[in-house]
Amino acid sequence: MEKRTKYLIVNDRLYTDSDEWVKVEKDVLIVGITDYAQKKLRDIIGVDLPKPNTQVRKGDPIAVVESVKAAADIYSPVDGTITEVNERLVESPELLNKDPYGEGWIFKIKPSGPLANLLTPENYMKKIGE
Amino acid sequence: MFSTRLRNLEEEMGADFGVFAGWSMPMSYGSYLDEHMAVRSSAAFFDLSHMGRLMVTGKKEEFEYLVAKAIGSTEAGKMVGPTAFLTDKGTFVDDVMIYVLGESSWLVVTNAVNREKVASWIKRNSGLEVEDLTMEYAMVAVQGRRVWEFTDKVEIEPLSFKKGIKYMGIETFLLSRSGWTGEDGVEIWARPEEMELLLRKLRTNGIKPAGLIARDSLRQEMGFVLYGEDIDETVNPLEARYWVFSLEKEFLGRNALVQALRTGVTKIRVGLKLKKGERVIPRRDSKIMVEDQEIGVVTSSTYSPYLTRVIGMGYVKSSHLFLGYSSKVEVRGRRIEAKLTDFPLV
Repeated sequence: MEKRTKYLIVNDRLYTDSDEWVKVEKDVLIVGITDYAQKKLRDIIGVDLPKPNTQVRKGDPIAVVESVKAAADIYSPVDGTITEVNERLVESPELLNKDPYGEGWIFKIKPSGPLANLLTPENYMKKIGE
Repeated sequence: MFSTRLRNLEEEMGADFGVFAGWSMPMSYGSYLDEHMAVRSSAAFFDLSHMGRLMVTGKKEEFEYLVAKAIGSTEAGKMVGPTAFLTDKGTFVDDVMIYVLGESSWLVVTNAVNREKVASWIKRNSGLEVEDLTMEYAMVAVQGRRVWEFTDKVEIEPLSFKKGIKYMGIETFLLSRSGWTGEDGVEIWARPEEMELLLRKLRTNGIKPAGLIARDSLRQEMGFVLYGEDIDETVNPLEARYWVFSLEKEFLGRNALVQALRTGVTKIRVGLKLKKGERVIPRRDSKIMVEDQEIGVVTSSTYSPYLTRVIGMGYVKSSHLFLGYSSKVEVRGRRIEAKLTDFPLV
């Protein structure tokens, strides 16, 4: 983990254009929102989670993060099946602010296709203009 | 885009900026929830330099005709408000606070979004002189339940003010015992360089800076309206249940209000409390429903850190003002229980 800008970007992840991070763990991907996204949304007060065992397509909006500023859609980074969701976020959505890359993970997904068009940490950093 | 003269200091203090009413303003300094609770439990300060501040001079009768509330017997050093400037239809040009300086001079604090509109409206409807002091002075509110433990105690009655006094050793132009959070405190006008010294002192004394998001959640708990969200030129004070007028005197818009009192109004402002545990915020214009009927719309909503639930306000048909009843608000296609309540919500 490395802090290179005013936003934390973690080296062992891949990123999406819509500010999700993706961590490859065996045959599933763990997905959350980036430090940049949580800072832009400010205090997060609620999360609508997807249902486990749902099949989704890359780019589908599958969760919603609610803050005073906005309700932001969270998109699936790949085609696949949701295997698990972070139920702790229902009671403690502030975990998304406090630990976006750790305890604030949102869902796990088993991909049914290749990982494509995800950004490296360097490219994500460029994308957010840092 | 305007920027407050305190911006450098605010950046230094870690402000996160956003745009409000054409101004780049501190929205929060990390967490609005903490800033909100600081006001409810100790104290915090807000930069309000975006608020319009107009010096109005001229004939008292002319000014009095523009203001919906009676100011006749208000002596110099007292504030009148909140009150309003109304259109001839009785709707809000703006809601304002007025500082009575003397027999022929007043300071008017307008909503940031209405500063120029109000200045030209006054000139158009009277022979009064208007001087815009907004850019000349910084304005800060220091608010909180324990504010006097952190700052000098101010010997001024609520809604009174003093000019040219020192506060915390700093030269101020004007200091009033007022605010918009439901807590005790002061609002201060000072030259930007003096204000910067004052803010540094407040910070050293343990007072947190707070941004406009916390100010918005604090005012919503109290049921205070925000111009452009909850009131505008389509709404009158009866509909808003905002008692900013005195019918015993003549004022612009009075006839329309008397007429509305006779006929009644079709919509009324009401508070909303979502069920505890519901963690969605109905955005502006979300529908308020009863039994599949749309009875109104949401105008403001937020998460209340004090009540730990989502609150809001909106307008419902006056035939459906079912205070205490659990209606529904529609959020992203889902209907969520929301009790219709009176104000304040805390």
